This record gives sequence, structure tokens and C-alpha cells, in this order.
Amino acid sequence: MLSKLLIKKCSVLQSSLIALLLSASGSVNAKDIQELQIHGFVAQGIIEASDSDFVNDDGDLSSALTELGVNFSYQLFDNVRLAGQAVYIDGGNRYADGARVDYALLDWTAYQTLESKLNIYLGRHKNYHWLYSSTRDIPHTRPTIVLPQSIYFDGFRDIAVGGDGIALSYKHNSGVGDIDINLSYGTSDISDKQTEIILSEFATGEMTHDTDYQASVYWQPIDSQWRFGIVGLDSEFGYDQSENDTFYDAKIVLQRFMLNALFEGERWEFSTEVNQERFALDGFYAPSAHLDRKGQGIYMQMRYRLNEQVRLLARQEFFYADKDDRGGDNLASSFGLPKYFGYQHDTTIGASVDLASNLRLQAEFHWYQGTARLTPVVAPNPGINNSEYWQMWALQLMYWF
Amino acid sequence: MNIKNLIRLALFIVSFLPLTVFAADVQPISHPSIGDVQLSKLELRRIFSKRVTNWPNGQPIVVFVLESSHPLHQRFSKETLTIFPYQLDRIWQKITYSGIGTAPIVVKDYATLLKQVASTPGAIGYGENIEQKGGLHVIKITD
Repeated sequence: MLSKLLIKKCSVLQSSLIALLLSASGSVNAKDIQELQIHGFVAQGIIEASDSDFVNDDGDLSSALTELGVNFSYQLFDNVRLAGQAVYIDGGNRYADGARVDYALLDWTAYQTLESKLNIYLGRHKNYHWLYSSTRDIPHTRPTIVLPQSIYFDGFRDIAVGGDGIALSYKHNSGVGDIDINLSYGTSDISDKQTEIILSEFATGEMTHDTDYQASVYWQPIDSQWRFGIVGLDSEFGYDQSENDTFYDAKIVLQRFMLNALFEGERWEFSTEVNQERFALDGFYAPSAHLDRKGQGIYMQMRYRLNEQVRLLARQEFFYADKDDRGGDNLASSFGLPKYFGYQHDTTIGASVDLASNLRLQAEFHWYQGTARLTPVVAPNPGINNSEYWQMWALQLMYWF
Repeated sequence: MNIKNLIRLALFIVSFLPLTVFAADVQPISHPSIGDVQLSKLELRRIFSKRVTNWPNGQPIVVFVLESSHPLHQRFSKETLTIFPYQLDRIWQKITYSGIGTAPIVVKDYATLLKQVASTPGAIGYGENIEQKGGLHVIKITD
């Protein structure tokens, strides 16, 4: 069954890749290349998460680890560019699978000198604010196949990956270093699958992404190998109950305050992101229900470059769904859920090997304690997720051009 | 220190001389259309990492590079730009796959790099032992 799935997927990938390569080949000159650029990626892997519904409900080995995409960039005028990317992703239960337009935007360089630059992006843009958010679906740009769930929660992927609206990027190069200021406003359409992932399969109403403001500031001091960032997010969602719905109309507020730091040395790298996340919900369980909690998460990640081809990784992550209920006691007494739904900690080791300049094999193993970042979020499933300790491993082969 | 130790020390020092004396600096080069531009290492790094994408005269900068593993690219990146090649790769990949900009154009060999920089208005690249004549302008580094 698994081999059939793999063969089917490889065949689809192969024909897609050929089509992509054909479109990118041919005789082109430098002027064409600078005006029109085409790039893409293809990745397929296997993944197994035992004792949890992270990837699938039965915990068996799965090939639901497919990511492929193609993008273009076309320089319309000296200061105006068009760009777009289409992707197909399949991560099993982690997020809604299928093809989608990842970004489609008009990039206007509104102002530029050697010291500063202002770009305005109109259309569907990515989330440019967190360390890995803008390329979370691009396998060869990620430190691990599965990112730290305290920050890059797959259950929120579709609403955190970007939005339709406007984004501003201001880069200032000064005597104190390089400063980046990013602002964005953009909401996303929420699919039925995403509604199911966040709420529950029994939530048959419609979920809407009403507002989403995000801002970030990054600073890299002159001649420093460190880079520091601060991020804020304020978003609102609505839920309109359907006829015969188990649940009620709801309003959800999701806010984040994050700090991050990145060190890139010749062999050693270190990165960390800290997140405090407010999750407030009115309604849903009952018309008068009210829930307001602040979760906290942090990860610390070390990477070591053994040589030009091989990288090793170790990461420790902690996440608490409610900073005032770190042990999950209130969760157990109020909702009857196991206490371990109140937290999720992850110890990860991983390695990647570059088999060629555009071909990489990546592997990792995760030891989890707790289930707070498993889905559905609002109505958790203790039937499947009946173990406090669970493991996950994944292996993925990735090619890009 | 006795004679033997002095000789050992001298040999040890001499063993490093070929690297330091004969290794020519990698020079940033550009298309003559941009004029006599002088840049600091920091400004060059900002150009190659795509933070700056237009010349002071408003002309778009077209960046040409060799493959990341090429020895000349490695030297230019580490010695002139003072950034590790893998860091540049990451910046360019992030730009390429997030829609935020365009990465430099990677050419297959050194001869192509020189040819493209010489023939593309607004182009920048790098080379070694380049004479300031014909189609290439050697950018003077100001610090």
C-alpha cells in the first residue's frame, strides 16, 4: 500500500518536474534571466508519529510528506516586479492538503538609496515576520522537516502562512547595523479542512479570518554574527454556526508577542524564538462561554556544520497552552481532559546531507511530552491522543532549482 | 631559544608565506555603465545580499555569482564581503521562494561571469587579476 502510494506520488512529481524543467530551459540571454526568473522545488518523504494524531489517526508510517512548487519573478519596470508561486502540499492531518497559490504579488520599490529601501507588496504575500515563516513550506530552507510547534503550529498553518492584503518592508543600513521593519495586513480564506483542524470535525459552520495585523523589527549590529528580532501579531476570527450545528457563533482573538535571536558562525549556529500567545474565545461551546488564556513557548536550536555537505541539529522546545496552568490541572478539572493537554515539549535531533548542490536528504527524530499542539485545537481528541509521551520521525528527500 | 628551534620557527613562518604573499585579492567588478563607483565592504555585502538593489544613479544592480562551492566565490564571500557563503545561500533562497525579491544570477564558470558582467548594464560580479580596461570596471574598495 505504502509503496503504491510512493510510486504514484513519485510519478506525479516526476512529470511535474519535467514540465517545470522544460519551461525553465532553452536558450535565454542575461537580459531575459534578470527580467524573468523561474525556480521551484520538489520533496517527498516518509513520516511516522506513533501514539498521536499528528500525521494520521492510526499512527502508522505515512508518505503524507509531499511538497512541491514553482515560482516566477518578472521585472515589469525598474521599480515594479510581479511574482507568484503555486505549491502542492500534503502533510496528512497536519494541515489541509492540496494545491494553492502560495503568493501572488506586485512588488513596488517605492524608495531606495544605498542607505535605505522601502518595498510595498500588494496581493497575496507571505508571513515575513518570523525566522522561518516566509519559507515554512520550502523544505531546503527549513532547519527541520517539522518546525517547532510552539511557534510554527501546523494547526494554524493556513492562517499564519501569509494573507491577502498589503505588506511593507523598510530596510535601513546605518552605522549601528542593518535594521529591517516589516508591517503587514492580510487575511486568509479558511477552508473547511482548516476549520476542522482548528475547531472540530463537528463544527459544520463557517470560520472567517476577519483581521490580521503583524509587525516585526530585526536588527543586525555592524560586523556581528548575531541578529535580533521582535514580532507582534493581532488577529481576529469569527465562527458562524450552521443549522443543526453542535457549536455556537464565536469570536476568537489570537495575539502574539515574540522575540528571536540568530547566530551564524562558520560551523556553529544558534537560533531561538520565544512566544507569548493570547487565545481568547467567546461563544462556541455555549453562547455565553468565555475563555481567555496566554500560552508560552520557547525553543533553542543548535546546528553544527560537520563539513560542506553534512549538518547536525539538536533542539529543545517547551510549550505551555496556559502560562497560569502549566501542569494542566485546570484543564483537567474544567474540561475533563488529561493534564498533558496543557503542555507539549519536544526534544529533537536531526541531520541533513547534501547529495548534490541542489539535492538534500534530511532526517530527524522527535521525542514529545504532552499534546497541547495536536489538533483539533478548540475541541481536543483525547481518544486518539491518549499518551503523554509520543515520538515522531521523518525522512525527506528534497530537490530545488 | 637554540638554533634548531629558531630554524623550526623560521620554517613554520615561511610555510605560510605563499598564502599571504601570492594570494591576490578578489576584486569586485562592474559594467562600465555605472561609472567610477567606490564602495565599502559593507556596501558590497549589502549589494550581494540584495539589501540594496539599485545603483546610486537609479539603475538596477544585476548581480552575477559563481556556484557557492566555487573557490573564488568562497574567497570573495569570506574575505571581501565577510559573510559565509552558506549565509548568502540562505538569504538568496529566502528571497527566491518567498516572493520578496530576486536572487543573483548564478553562472556556470568564471569566463561566463566576466562575459556577463562586461555585457550587462548595471552588472556587478567579482574576479581576480582584472585590469581596468575594456568592458570591465574594477570597483575600488574604500576601507
